[in-house]
Amino acid sequence: MSIRIQDLRYGYRNFSLHVQSLAFESAKMTSIVGPNGAGKTTLLKCLSAILPVSKGSVFVDGRDVASMPEEERAKILAYVPQEHSSAFNYTVEDYVLMGRAAYITLFSTPSSSDVRIVQEALEYVGLSRYASRPYFQLSSGERRLVLIARALAQKSDILVLDEPTSFLDPKHETEILDLAKKLAVEKKKTILVTLHNLDLAVKYSDVMVFMKKGILVACGQPDDILTETLLENVYEIKMHIIRYNGRKFIVK
Amino acid sequence: MYIGPWHIPPQDIFKAFLSPLFPSLKQGLPDAERYISTVYDIRLPRLLLALMAGAALSVSGASLQALFKNPLVNEYILGLSSGAAFGAAISIVFLGQHFPPQISAFAFSVVAVLAVWTVAKKSDSQIISLLLTGVIVSAFFSALLSLAEFFASPYALQSLFSWLMGDLSQAGWRPLALSLPLMGLGTVGLILMRWRMNVLSMSDEEAKSLGVNIRNEKLLVIFLATLITSAATAVAGIIGWIGLIVPHLVRMMVGVDNRRVVPLSAALGAGFLILADDLARSLASFEIPVGIFTSLIGIPFFIFLLKKSKKVWL
Repeated sequence: MSIRIQDLRYGYRNFSLHVQSLAFESAKMTSIVGPNGAGKTTLLKCLSAILPVSKGSVFVDGRDVASMPEEERAKILAYVPQEHSSAFNYTVEDYVLMGRAAYITLFSTPSSSDVRIVQEALEYVGLSRYASRPYFQLSSGERRLVLIARALAQKSDILVLDEPTSFLDPKHETEILDLAKKLAVEKKKTILVTLHNLDLAVKYSDVMVFMKKGILVACGQPDDILTETLLENVYEIKMHIIRYNGRKFIVK
Repeated sequence: MYIGPWHIPPQDIFKAFLSPLFPSLKQGLPDAERYISTVYDIRLPRLLLALMAGAALSVSGASLQALFKNPLVNEYILGLSSGAAFGAAISIVFLGQHFPPQISAFAFSVVAVLAVWTVAKKSDSQIISLLLTGVIVSAFFSALLSLAEFFASPYALQSLFSWLMGDLSQAGWRPLALSLPLMGLGTVGLILMRWRMNVLSMSDEEAKSLGVNIRNEKLLVIFLATLITSAATAVAGIIGWIGLIVPHLVRMMVGVDNRRVVPLSAALGAGFLILADDLARSLASFEIPVGIFTSLIGIPFFIFLLKKSKKVWL
């Protein structure tokens, strides 16, 4: 499924996000980068209708996201938060099962087919053996995988991940992004991620979006748009681009 | 049904209980009419009330703890008990004996919750403001209650106190006719929503992204919990701490999954209140209000809980 943004505006006190026009294609991985406070997370939350957006600004396959009922939206778009905190320490399986909420009516409980979908999702992210472990006993890397498994249980075509690699070591960073890429290639999902690590963004993204102060600065294939001028413009520090093995690397 | 100030042998209780079905059993009873009326008009309604009120208070406690994402919330957090107490006070002190205090207790507990809801809904972070407004509204109604107590006659004061301490002895078919169906309906509704409570116990953002209409569903849970708590409070008085202790005991035993916590809270709560009421009736030659018993067990447990809150079972 493809996403189209048209004149999206969102503002609070001293920040305003304004994206004139932007589109995300299916089966592609798009990363959104930019300095802190550029509006990356706000953009993702607007797309996911977690923050209220005005009608006629975000469309999925031509349908207006703002006027969709919650459960319908959750079936086509899953949002993976940076982290999860809860007063109750649910098991991994119970937790991933919550991804089925949009398919289960108010007064009923998950069926055996819901449980099967959850087991498949856990298997896909490689956490089957942790199904009955309490969530808060897992490491941060494993917790991220649980969050992704929950999004997979939503069976949505679009997956929105908010800084899935923050606070992770290089091995887990790679593991999470490999998984995201695999979902785009194998399952033809539309993947949107916000990232701070530019080298990883260059390596994994089909499309990169640069943002600064709530405004879109550049958008396109990493190889085409990545220049030293762009980096200096966005991050306000000097960076150099070197080529190694045919790939661009950024040296600060 | 065996326990009570008037001793009836167990086998006679059994006979009296079954006598409407098998009239021949009446012949075996020494004082048939009084036995039957004791069993049917005093002890059975009281047992049913303890059963349903225990279940209702525990289920509403468990549900509200999930909803407010806070295991220390209890069923009276929304200002409900102080509203109910003031309602009962008004009726007992000013309206005299002829007007049943249950109705005005129910009315004022609903007023208190509505007040909390209207004040709190305008704010951004609903949970915090709901809890805060609950405390404020409680304080306001407590002040009103003190005022009513100030004007009360000693006789009215005594009957008010026994209600405030939780008292199942008012159980009769007339007050139960309304409150039992309400408690039953609300409790069943919340038990059916047991899995949904897991999702509602996530942060608002997460619940929303999972496809839940959080505003409507939270309102429904709060509505049902208020309904059953005020229905129970109206007939049984203020029975504290059940809604806190019982769900925690259940979580200690079976974990935090509300699919198990909510229904098991109903069962354990019903058993707990029946037991507390039996003790209250039989330990002394006079009746001790059951609310005292639940608090005597509840408060040491609460302290234990605070000391041990290393999230062992949460």
